[in-house]
Amino acid sequence: MPGTDAGAEYIRPLPRLTRDDEPHFGGKSANLGELLAVEIPVPPGFAISTAAFHEFVAQAGLEGRIDGALARVSAGDLEAIANASHAISEAMRFAPVPDVLRVEVEQHYAQIGHAAGVDSPPVAVRSSAIGEDSADATFAGQQETYLWVRGVQHVCDAVRDCWVSLYSPPAISYRARLGRLEGPPGMGVTVQLMVDAEVSGVMFTCNPVSGDPSMVAVNASWGLGLAVVGGEITPDDYLVSKVTGEVVREHVHSKHVEYVPDPSGGGAVRVAVPPERSERACLDQSALARLVEVGKRVERHFGSHQDVEWARARNDPEALFVVQARPVTGLAKKAEKRGPASAMSLIMGTFGAGPRND
Amino acid sequence: MATTAPKAGAFPSPYEIETPPGCEGWEEMYPYYALFDERRREIDENRFWFWNSMHFPMPMPAFDVICIDSPYQAVGSWQNRVFAVPPAMGIDYRCVNGYIYISGNPVTDPAKIAERAEFFQARAGYYFQNWTELYGKWRAKMEALIGELGELQVPDLPEYEPDEVAFGEDRNTAFYELLDAYGRALRLGDLMWQRHFEFLLLGYGAYGTFVEFCKRHLPDIPDQHIAQMVAGIDVLLFRPDAELRRLARLAIETGVEGAFQQGRAPQQIDAELAQSDAGLSWLAELEKVKDPWFNMATGDGLYHYYRSWLDDPSIPYASLIGHVSALNAGEQIDRPTEEIQRERDRLATEYGALLDEASRASFNDLLNLSRTVFPYVEEHKFYCDYWFLTRWWNKIREFGALLARNGFLEDGEDVFQLSRYEVASALDELVLTWATGGLPLGPKHWPPIVARRKEILEKLGEWTPPPAVGVTPEAVTDPMTIMLWGVTTERVQEWARQQDGGSVLNGAAASPGVIEGLARVVRSVDQIGDVRDGEILVCGSTSPAWAPIFSKIKATVTDVGGVMSHAAIVAREYGLPAVVGTGRATAAIRTGQTIRVDGTEGTVTVLAAQEP
Repeated sequence: MPGTDAGAEYIRPLPRLTRDDEPHFGGKSANLGELLAVEIPVPPGFAISTAAFHEFVAQAGLEGRIDGALARVSAGDLEAIANASHAISEAMRFAPVPDVLRVEVEQHYAQIGHAAGVDSPPVAVRSSAIGEDSADATFAGQQETYLWVRGVQHVCDAVRDCWVSLYSPPAISYRARLGRLEGPPGMGVTVQLMVDAEVSGVMFTCNPVSGDPSMVAVNASWGLGLAVVGGEITPDDYLVSKVTGEVVREHVHSKHVEYVPDPSGGGAVRVAVPPERSERACLDQSALARLVEVGKRVERHFGSHQDVEWARARNDPEALFVVQARPVTGLAKKAEKRGPASAMSLIMGTFGAGPRND
Repeated sequence: MATTAPKAGAFPSPYEIETPPGCEGWEEMYPYYALFDERRREIDENRFWFWNSMHFPMPMPAFDVICIDSPYQAVGSWQNRVFAVPPAMGIDYRCVNGYIYISGNPVTDPAKIAERAEFFQARAGYYFQNWTELYGKWRAKMEALIGELGELQVPDLPEYEPDEVAFGEDRNTAFYELLDAYGRALRLGDLMWQRHFEFLLLGYGAYGTFVEFCKRHLPDIPDQHIAQMVAGIDVLLFRPDAELRRLARLAIETGVEGAFQQGRAPQQIDAELAQSDAGLSWLAELEKVKDPWFNMATGDGLYHYYRSWLDDPSIPYASLIGHVSALNAGEQIDRPTEEIQRERDRLATEYGALLDEASRASFNDLLNLSRTVFPYVEEHKFYCDYWFLTRWWNKIREFGALLARNGFLEDGEDVFQLSRYEVASALDELVLTWATGGLPLGPKHWPPIVARRKEILEKLGEWTPPPAVGVTPEAVTDPMTIMLWGVTTERVQEWARQQDGGSVLNGAAASPGVIEGLARVVRSVDQIGDVRDGEILVCGSTSPAWAPIFSKIKATVTDVGGVMSHAAIVAREYGLPAVVGTGRATAAIRTGQTIRVDGTEGTVTVLAAQEP
């Protein structure tokens, strides 16, 4: 087969990934593998490598068309970028996912179904950015997420949609700015069993506003969490001490909509939340304590503040899953690092007999 | 540095505050220099003065003014003349309608600040480096001073001097002995105040620096955790109550607990105990505990009203009754010291581990120093404000009793209605007429003055002082004002906003939790007995002797104090919500109103304006 890398690995189950696999499978998948290794609950799933994407491009003979479309692009030319994006996306959407990959997806998808005890398990398909792209992935538009995807065909389509997102106007613009339009970009894809979440949200293992490292900041809302990401509702907001587990601050907001699995079988739909439930706090003290415990373990494992997406299953409040963990970025820069100040010099500052302490 | 670009308007001018009806002439109780005088109006009117309701919640009796003068003489001496705190000299005070307003004197000249910094670094550095040794010597000096006060005799005036005066060598007559005793009593008081402030600024400064450090690096850390990391385990101030718990247990073990029934007075309890051998041995055990542990004051010690447990055993006996009934109900009443120690160390380790390496080193260094200075911070009140001062007031009472015996006063207690100079003057005339055999004028002169002043004080007690007078500072930068009184820029702005009134009070969130209940406004210590179970205590500030009250109430609100104030510490110890430093809770809230105390957010809301 032309262009095929005979030794390439396309798919690997999450539990067999470590951080060393990040260059091939992307940060999201590698991190989930790391979490599984330290027994943090992560929904079962598998990772698709960047080699699979390259195989897709090669098999469909897209390289020439991509290069051709990008040849006329320069960093500031938004119209050229939009045209290139449109041309490449159209070409990719009509290109088939290579059989060799489709067979592997089918096989690993079946394993998820087997583990979950269902035939056609609902999964989440997410892009898993590689290298320095990770930190800027949000800006580069590489955070595609497809929820409640069922059936091999739909999974393959969602995987391809993730790849297409590499050529979205912001993604092209981003790489043009960095002068990295030459050659194919890399991206992995993560496929995971969906948790039918009663509550889901995000937690930061520090207070992202004040920078306090002793706090876990938790945002939570009903359902699958899309309402928060989409800015449709203000989630409940908690600040919990890592040291004592005390809830230091709690703001319960009105969460009037939530996303739930589409009863017709695939995708998620937006539904209204009845008032008595929308006004209620969606986490109690013990649920917060469990979350914070998990957050602390994730942070300890990675050795830095983490931004953790989590979900709690509808039928089993004990079942708390981490669906994504990544380093906290964009933390307000604190005063530049100084060497250790002695107690005496700090006290002198208090009394105005030395440099001010702030 | 105390003020920048001050503006008038929010607070009343101290020169435009009216005398409450019937209080005309209140100024005569106070020294000329304590008043807002026209001759320095231009300066005084343009300063920021706040009501020191932490130390002086009630109008000052004339004699008690000594407890304004001496402390500010002492604190200024250390701050300004010994340690030379660079940006701040001492604190000025003024009296308005009997209430005390204070204002710091800043140093603004940069060259002066730099000059003072050299003194400060050398001298404060010496104290910090030798703290434990110096503080050990201090304790010994304080105990010696208390001993000296105990030995001070207030001689009577005999018809004939004893033979020793006639035949002995170097004997003095009562004329000299009495006037000397009064002078010495005043000097011993001054000496106590001098000692009181020797370590205070540095102690609070070290602790305050640690608090600031924590808040900078751990901006959301609950104040309570900072206090827990520093607070001592075997704190002297917990000893009196610990002894009461031990005595309560002893009462149960020896089967005399039946004497401790709700509502009984100490004398009734003692009388029942005296009827059995077991009761008598319990009373003997109590006697052993009294010295020194009953030298607790019923208030913060700056008024003569505050007696010690020795003088007024109703507070410790109320505690005993509470402890006995708690033990009978199978409750755990001991402080879990091992658990407190473990938690203290765990907090320090875990918070330290969250910091980067350089910050952790500073954190540990400051924590160690804070723990070194904290015994003084926690204990000086026991030595100075309680043990010494309650005995000192009693010494002054002996002079009052002498004046009363000689008709100068109707009651010995009236001595506190005269200034210390007036007492000296009365004693002078008493000695003069005793010596000459002439007719004293004092019995005609002093009683009407005393009667009028009592009337004025009572009326002034019903007046509500504004939290501040003069101009509103744009920023409060005086380190002493911030550190010792918790009066920050935000607090002053809040006071200014609240001048219009409003049903929500803001203060410092001192102990977390939200609770609603009936308010009980307690403006002086003799009202403590009115507090009923389950009420919310609203007061100027509290002192350790109020501790038993905390087992009755369900939340507390104070006018003045920061998160390290006594009310805040005890509220956390008892797990009660507390909001401190509201500036005007005792003025804005009436007993019987339903209020909500949010100790997590630091707000107090008046829910129902219903008054009883």
